[in-house]
Parts: sequence; C-alpha cells; structure tokens
Amino acid sequence: MPHLTIDGREVTVGDGTTVIQAAEQLGIFVPRYCYHPGLSIAGNCRICLVDVEKFPKLQIACNMLAGEGMVVHTQSEKAESGRRAVLEFLLANHPLDCPVCDQSGECDLQNFYMNFGLYDPRFREVKVKKKKAVKLGPHVMLDQERCILCSRCVRFTDEITKTGEFGIFDRGDRAELALYPGEVLDNLYSTNVVDICPVGALTERDFRFKVRAWYLSSAPTVCNGCSQGCNIDMHFVLDRPHLNDGARLVRVKPRVNPHVNQWWMCDEGRYGLGWLDRNRLRTVRGPEKSESTWEQALDAISAALAQPQNGGARPRAGVIASAQLTNEELFLIREIFQEALGAQVSAVVPEEPGTCDDFLLKADKNPNTLGATLLGLAGADALPAERILDEALAGRLDVLWVFVHDLARAFGGRDLRRLAESVPLFVYSGTNENTTASLAHWALPSAAYVEKDGTFVNCHGRVQRIGRAFPPLADAREDWRVLLDVARRLGLPLAWRGPEEIFQAMASTLAPFAGLGYDTIGTLGADLATAERTAGTTAPWSTS
Amino acid sequence: VSLAELEGRARGILGRYESRKAAMLPLLWLVQESQGYVSQEAEAWVAGLLGVSRSRVHESVTFYHMFHTQPVGRRELRVCTSLPCKLLGAGDVLARIEERLGIRPGETTPDGKVTLTEVECLCACEMSPMAQLDETFAGPLHAETLDALMRAALEGPESSTSLPEPEVFISTAGPVLSTRFADPEGTWFERYAAGGGYVAARKALTSMTPEQVIQEVQQANLRGLGGAGFPTGKKWSFVPKDSPKPKYLVVNADEGEPGTFKDRYILERDPHALLEGMIIAAHAIGSHKAYVYIRGEYFRPAKRLQRAVDEAYAQRWLGKDIQGTGFDLDVVIHRGAGAYICGEETALLTSIEGGKGFPKLKPPFPATSGLFACPTIVNNVETLACVPFILREGAERFAGLGTAKQGGTRLFCVSGHVVRPGVYEAPVSATLRGLIEDACGGVRGGLRLKAVIPGGISAKILTADEIDVAMDFDSLAAAGSMAGSGGVIVIDESTSMVEMLESASRFFAHESCGQCSPCREGTGWIDRIVRRIVEGKGSLSDLDDLLAIAHDMEGKTICVFADAAAWPVQSYITKFRGEFEEHIRAGRSAGRAVAACPT
Repeated sequence: MPHLTIDGREVTVGDGTTVIQAAEQLGIFVPRYCYHPGLSIAGNCRICLVDVEKFPKLQIACNMLAGEGMVVHTQSEKAESGRRAVLEFLLANHPLDCPVCDQSGECDLQNFYMNFGLYDPRFREVKVKKKKAVKLGPHVMLDQERCILCSRCVRFTDEITKTGEFGIFDRGDRAELALYPGEVLDNLYSTNVVDICPVGALTERDFRFKVRAWYLSSAPTVCNGCSQGCNIDMHFVLDRPHLNDGARLVRVKPRVNPHVNQWWMCDEGRYGLGWLDRNRLRTVRGPEKSESTWEQALDAISAALAQPQNGGARPRAGVIASAQLTNEELFLIREIFQEALGAQVSAVVPEEPGTCDDFLLKADKNPNTLGATLLGLAGADALPAERILDEALAGRLDVLWVFVHDLARAFGGRDLRRLAESVPLFVYSGTNENTTASLAHWALPSAAYVEKDGTFVNCHGRVQRIGRAFPPLADAREDWRVLLDVARRLGLPLAWRGPEEIFQAMASTLAPFAGLGYDTIGTLGADLATAERTAGTTAPWSTS
Repeated sequence: VSLAELEGRARGILGRYESRKAAMLPLLWLVQESQGYVSQEAEAWVAGLLGVSRSRVHESVTFYHMFHTQPVGRRELRVCTSLPCKLLGAGDVLARIEERLGIRPGETTPDGKVTLTEVECLCACEMSPMAQLDETFAGPLHAETLDALMRAALEGPESSTSLPEPEVFISTAGPVLSTRFADPEGTWFERYAAGGGYVAARKALTSMTPEQVIQEVQQANLRGLGGAGFPTGKKWSFVPKDSPKPKYLVVNADEGEPGTFKDRYILERDPHALLEGMIIAAHAIGSHKAYVYIRGEYFRPAKRLQRAVDEAYAQRWLGKDIQGTGFDLDVVIHRGAGAYICGEETALLTSIEGGKGFPKLKPPFPATSGLFACPTIVNNVETLACVPFILREGAERFAGLGTAKQGGTRLFCVSGHVVRPGVYEAPVSATLRGLIEDACGGVRGGLRLKAVIPGGISAKILTADEIDVAMDFDSLAAAGSMAGSGGVIVIDESTSMVEMLESASRFFAHESCGQCSPCREGTGWIDRIVRRIVEGKGSLSDLDDLLAIAHDMEGKTICVFADAAAWPVQSYITKFRGEFEEHIRAGRSAGRAVAACPT
C-alpha cells in the first residue's frame, strides 16, 4: 500500500496502482491519449508525462507504478513544458480541420490544447498527407490525417473483440492506422473504437455531420436491447428540430459500469433505438380507429373492468405483459390485475433467441426478464401468454390488455383478426404502430422506456434505473401512470405517486428487492438480495 | 515455390522458438526468399502459422523495409546514401545508376531485371560509396567498380561477374579483437581452436562459478561496446538468481549505426570468438538459450556465423552437455529485416518476439523481464568477443590496456574523408587525433579537417580542435560527445554542415519507429525544415526552431532514439551556426557534401 504525494496532496493506494490512477483518486486529471483503463498500457502518446522527484527525466504516469514516498508534480514547469511539447508534436501534422470534424467539441486535442497547450504554433512545413473519409465498415469512418496513432483501436480489436482488424502500418511519420487491406470493420462491437478514439480519426458514420457535439444533451440510462442491461448515455436534441430530421435521439454512448459492461456496448444495442423517434403511436385511438383522449380511454377501460358479468361475477380479464416493462409497471399489473381483479397475467411471450456471444450480447432481447420472473410473471412456472391468447380467441375473456408486444410477431401462426370479435374489450398499450395496435379496440400510446423512470433487473441480478432522458413523445404516457389511473378509477387503494414509491412498496413486499431504493441503486445499479446475487456480482467478462 | 511446399520448412522454423509468434521474421524471410515478395496470400499463411491476425503480419511486412509487398526484379540493387557514403559521393553514384538503369529508386527496370532501392546505412562505410547487389556488398564505387556492379546487376542472379572485395584497412594486430581478421575467408574452428580458442570457455565451464566469471569481467572493466558503455559484468549480475524462468542471452548483431561496421568483421572473420564469448556469458547468467539478432542486410555475416554455429555443435561446443561439462547452450540466429531501431535492445527483443521493432516500456528492464518476459541479457557482438580474451589472459591484462574505468581495446570504424578508411583496433585510451592523423593517414586530398563524429551518427560532432581526446566512454562524454559504437566519421573542410545535417535528419526520420509521438513527429519535422533550408528556402528563425524542437524531443520517449536524433541538430547548429546562417542568407552552401563520384 504505497503512500505518495501528488501535487502536494497525500494519498495511499493499492499495490500495483499507477501514478495516473493514484492521481485520479485525488481528483487530479492527468491528460491521456493512449492510456485507457480497459486496455493494455501502450505508453506511446507521452502526453501524461509527470515530474517525479529523484527522476531526472519526466515519467509517463500511465506506466509508472506508485511507489512508497514518491513525490509527483503534475503542474511543475517541467511537467507543463513537457506536455506542451508533446502536444505540439501531436498537432504538427494534424490537419486542424475542426470546422468540418464531428469530433469537434469533444476532442481531446482541442481540450488539451486549451488546458495544457496554448503555445504559439511553430509548424510551417507541408503536412504529411494521408487518406481521409475512409469507410471502414457499416458504422465507422476513418480519417488517417487526424489520427495520432495512440493505438487504442488496435488494442481494442486485439484485446477485447480479438478480431484484429486494425493495424498501424509502415513506420515513422509515415505510419498510418488502417484495416488490413480488404478487411471490413464489422464486428459486433465495432463502434466502440469511435468512443475510445480520443480525436476525430474514427467517427460514427451514423452521426456524420448530423449535429455539432455541443448541441447534444445527455442522459444516463441502460440499453434495453437485451438482458445484459449495458449502461449507456443517450445523446439527444430537443430544441433543434431542423437537425437530425427532427429525431430526438442522435446517438448512444456506452457509460462505464464496472459491474455490467465496463466501457463497452454492442453495435446491435447502439443502433437498435431508431424506434424511439420512428413510427410511434402518437395519439390515443379508440374503437373503429377513432381519435380519442386518455380520459375517454381510461373511463371506457375502467368501466369494462368494473362491469359485473352474468351472475355478478368479475369480468374475466387477461393481461399479456412484457419483460420490457419496468419492475414498477409489472408490480402494478400484478397488484391491479392478478391480485385485485383475479385476472390471468403473463409476461411469457415467445421470442426467437437473438444474437448472443460470451461477452455482452445476450440471446434474451428483453431487458427485464429476471424482474418479471421475480414478480412471478415470467420464468418456467409462469403462465404462458399463449394460454391467455387461447382464452381470448375461444371467447372466454371479457377484457384483453396487451402491453408492448406485437402479437402478430409473437404468434404469427395464429389468426389474430378474430381477436377483436372474440373479446369484448381488446386494449393495446405500446410505443409503436404495429398489427396489434391496428387490431385492438383501444390503442394507447406508451412512453418509451427512456421517456419514463423505473428499473430493470439484468440477467446477472443487478437492478438498474433507466432514468428518464426526455419527456414522452406527443400524447404518449408512461404505462405506470396509466395503470395508476386505472387503479384509481377502480377505487383500488394504491396511493403511490410515481415509480420511486412503487419501487418502495415492491421492495417492502418482495424479498429480493428488500432494502433497496432508488438512492441505493444509484446510477450504477445494485445487486439483488437473492440467490441471483452471486450471478450478479460476477462480472460477465471475468467468466469468459 | 508454393506456400504448401514451404510448410515443412515453416514447421522447422517454428520449432526453434519458445513462442509461435517469434517465428514472424524467419517465416516472412522464407516466403520472400521463395516467392520474391510477401503477397497477401502469404501474409494470411504466416498469420495462420503464427496464430495472429493478418494485420499483425502486415504491420511487420510494412515496418521492416527489406520486405516487398509487390513482385520485384530478379535482382535488387540497394544504394546507400547515408551520411558516410554521401560524404564520398553517394548522391552522384545513385544518379549514375539511375541513369544507367533508366529508373528511379523504388522502381524496377521494364525488363524485370533490377529493382533499385535507396537505403540508409548498410554499415559498410569503410567501402563508401557503396551499394549492395542482392546479398553482396560492393564498393568503393568508382568508375570501374560501378561498371562491374552494373554488369553483374543486369546479367541476373546467375551472373559470373564477380564483385571484387574492397581494399580497405583491416587491423590484424590485435591484441584483443583483430588477431584473426587477416583471412577474408574467415577463421574456422580448427584454426580458432589451434590458436588458443575455447580455452577460456573450457576454463569457465570447468573451473569457474558464474560469480567468478562475473567478477573477472567486472575487474576487466569491460563495458558495452554497442554504444551505451554500461559495465558488462554489472549487467550480468542483474539477472535474478532465484527466478524459475528460463534466462536468455541475446546478442545484438543488429549493427546499424551509420559509420559502424566492426561487428561485421567479427561475424565474418572470427565468429568463434563471439560464440566462445557467448558460452562464457551464458554460463555467467545461467542461460541455456541464446539468440543472435543479425541485421537483415548482413547476409554473408549471418551465413558465416551459421557455419560457425554448425561447427560448434559438431565439436560439442554447443548443444547438450557441452564438452562433458553438463552445461547446455542452444543458439538461434535470428535475422532482422531492415530497421535501425532494432539495435535498441528492447526493440530487438520485441522484434524477436514477432512484433514491429518497438522499444519496450521500462520498467521492467530486460534483466528481470526481457525476451518472452524472462530474464534476458543483451550484449553487443564486440563486447562478447572480448570475453574469451579476458578469461584467457586475465582481467588485469585487459583492464591494463585501457583507462581506469574502461578496459581493453575497441574496433574503431573510420570512414569519411580519411586516406585509409577501415577497421582499427586500438586501446580505448588512444586519442581521436592519433587515430585519424597517424593510423588513418589523415584527411585525404590534402584538405584540412573540419569536424569528426566520434561514435556513430548519433554522437555530437566535434570540431577539428576538439579531437585531442581519448576515445573511451568517459573521456568522450566529458568532451560533450560520446564514444557510442566506435564509428568515427571524418569530415573535411569542403563539407557543408547544412547538407550533413540534412543527411543525418533524413536518417532519423526514416528510421524512427513511430511509436512515441515526440520522435515520430519531431524527426519528420526536423527533416522537413532542414530540407527546406538546404533548398534555399530557410529563414534564420528556423535555426532556433530546430534547436527548440530538438530540445523538446529529448528525454520524453520510450527509448533514446529521439535524443540521438536531437544531438546532431544541436551540435551541428551550435558549433557551426555561422555556416548555417550563411547558407540561409545565400540560399545555398559554400561547401559540398555531395562529392563527385571519384573517377
């Protein structure tokens, strides 16, 4: 446990800690290009030079182990002039095409020049010419002239995906980053190289010239693309509809979570969110596809649910829920429909297993299967949704409420056109237009998951908040809000005002969630207090 | 020859190495020597054999300049235009060759006979200006030899035109290193053994502990003659005794410093001295596997050393249970492929391991974690060739030949404007003036001395009045330069320092591995400024910029290449500033670096 001093402040760090990490513990930022905590140490960019007492030369903080009694200066004249010199070298052959570079505004050449550079440039020679706007694959564009050869992307494809597409060919200032001749960058995680590129050499084709980085807002959430629940930041614009064809979501970036996805995410998840702004259900649609309002819809649905049937029996209701709903919404569905109304409820909807690997991608494309299982709505013992569908088609249901799933996709072989005739009230709550929405008596526009708060439980038993990036589109409403409104209309004593209170109620009745709250879940999630905890604490990458 | 037919030989190569990836360079050589170049198909084949991506293979193919990615002519003519050759008219030689072949460097004659390549120093500066036709050195190239060279080149590989051995001065007087240099065909086992060879190795293996060997070498004040001058015995003592890992002895025969050619003479004319030194060193550090990394352009040295290795195996001086002593040592000769940086000891290790020649981050240092992350000692050829003498004649005798802190003699490589260029063995206490004026016959053509680079192109230049200095490491360091590799480049008064710097700067820009940003960008930047000055487009502020850039490159990189690139800039400009300023004002040089080809 070496004890060292950095910029006059003392810190004790674990054995094997490097100076750059020790500085970080003190909140001292040492600039870096090649250093990335998720990759091996390359030590080639030299921007992290620091002044270590008793060492005649400046040392790179990324490779230097913190030593007992070490005294480090990151702000000394020697350290600052060293960094300035390195920066000038890095920018010597840089094209300085910031006005047309997508990285502008979030570029560490710009940032570090402003923070550590501010020299008068001396380079007056003809710059080395290399290739520009090279399409590397479906998602990534390369500008060799902007590349500072830090080798992060090379190490990523060597060490993380082990696909080895990149190389730095030739040598000296002719060295250039490229793919192996004829190779295409099309691995399952290809766009991560854009995230880790500290400059504008690797940019996203999808983001190309769409929005300047400084117009972007960002919100932390999790990816709902599969049961891994990778932590992400959603970058969006709300106030510039002339940009990005009016779509709010501009791009997705992985958010570091050492317990779930480290620094990475897959391309499938990253590019799987187009539905947020496309083909959405925007308004409430009543019978015969009539324009309607939430008041009318909720009144009609509540009335049907409260309507005594022949012999005073409760109406027979069935709910096809979804492992894409939040725990809070599933808990409400359970409380209202299963407990209070005695309805049949299922979140077991058949799906073709999707792409998976031994890294992040899971075959289960629902983000909350484990949450639904803990609530008894999914898993081996739960009622399959098809049974509810059978009941409905057989005319044995008075109300059918389908959430999220397009039945046409899940039960393609069944004749769904009869549903509207077989069931007196057929409600669909979903985010997007689909066959089910067009067949239902009522089509209710749901808020997308990033338009609401709530939690998912990932496949390792980690409960994570999805947060709310931006408000629901048009008339869309959060399903939890709709469910609470229905409960109120039915006179059920559910006094919760929002997801956090619903979660508290759930945590007090469901053992796996015991002791947890939104505060303790925080932005990185928390492991459930169940047998799944073991699975949850085992990081997926440590097992593969 | 198809790749499938190479499979068997490839397997044999793979069997020599601890890690598959280490077979990168030998497999690429196998491909190139069989197919003429390295095709993408061959890259994929090599990648498959090594278990690496094709990108890793392509990185090596493009990093090491001797590999071709396209078919080339039946013969390759490499013309050296590095500083020592340039001083003696290499520019003119290249121009004549271009004219004769009708092609420019990088091109192949339309009939497919010859590919012309302009290369940096081939370390045959005693025969400057020179070139290499396939595997054979030719020089000095004056009218007659150039004719012979061109005939041979155009006649094809089966040409009967023989290229005459250059007539240069080669020390044979010893006492340590050059006693067996007389025979241009080399000294082979029988003669080596008859003249006291392997006595020292037998002594070490049968009657000395490793500690005693190290002690003896330390007392001899032997210092690393590759250029760094680190005490050899002390270096050996850094190998951890208790490490369970195998230990490696790696011989640095990647002679590449412009102005240096001494190791080539040991490899070609006295290879058993090196092998005997290796056996002793391996015993001292507990190593049973040694690699000799020979620069790719040294075809004949590699072949001759291989012959000596084969002899040593046959005579049971290598292999299992050497001479019944129970000591084992295997030797693998590993050929480079055209990259000066691989002479840096950690770059050399990366290169053996199958990577581009990138120097490694230190710590860890090779003695604790070097080749294949095992304890490793890297020694220069000449250093090891001194060791048998030390054990045979005694540390005291060796130490007595030198100064208080550096024992023995060295092979000084003298090139440039002297009457008799060549390889000279002299005590390290000898002065630079004595070497140049007495041994080498002074400056040729009756011209006056202008400057001397005393230790290879990286060393800071000394002016004519700074050469009354002994040539040991400490004296030259005190004089503000360095003994380096012992490459003494002599410069006469007619030479333009601006053009000298252009040549040096081009060398460093060409050879920077490109790993660290200050070196990669700095060497290219300096090169372009100096070229601009030479072209008459300089301004006086360029000189201060050059000094500032050189200063900014120093001490900020993984290895000292950037520092070495900075030193010529600093020393030439500081010591000859008036000449630089005059050139900038006039837009041209008063002197000439581009001598006419002697006819």
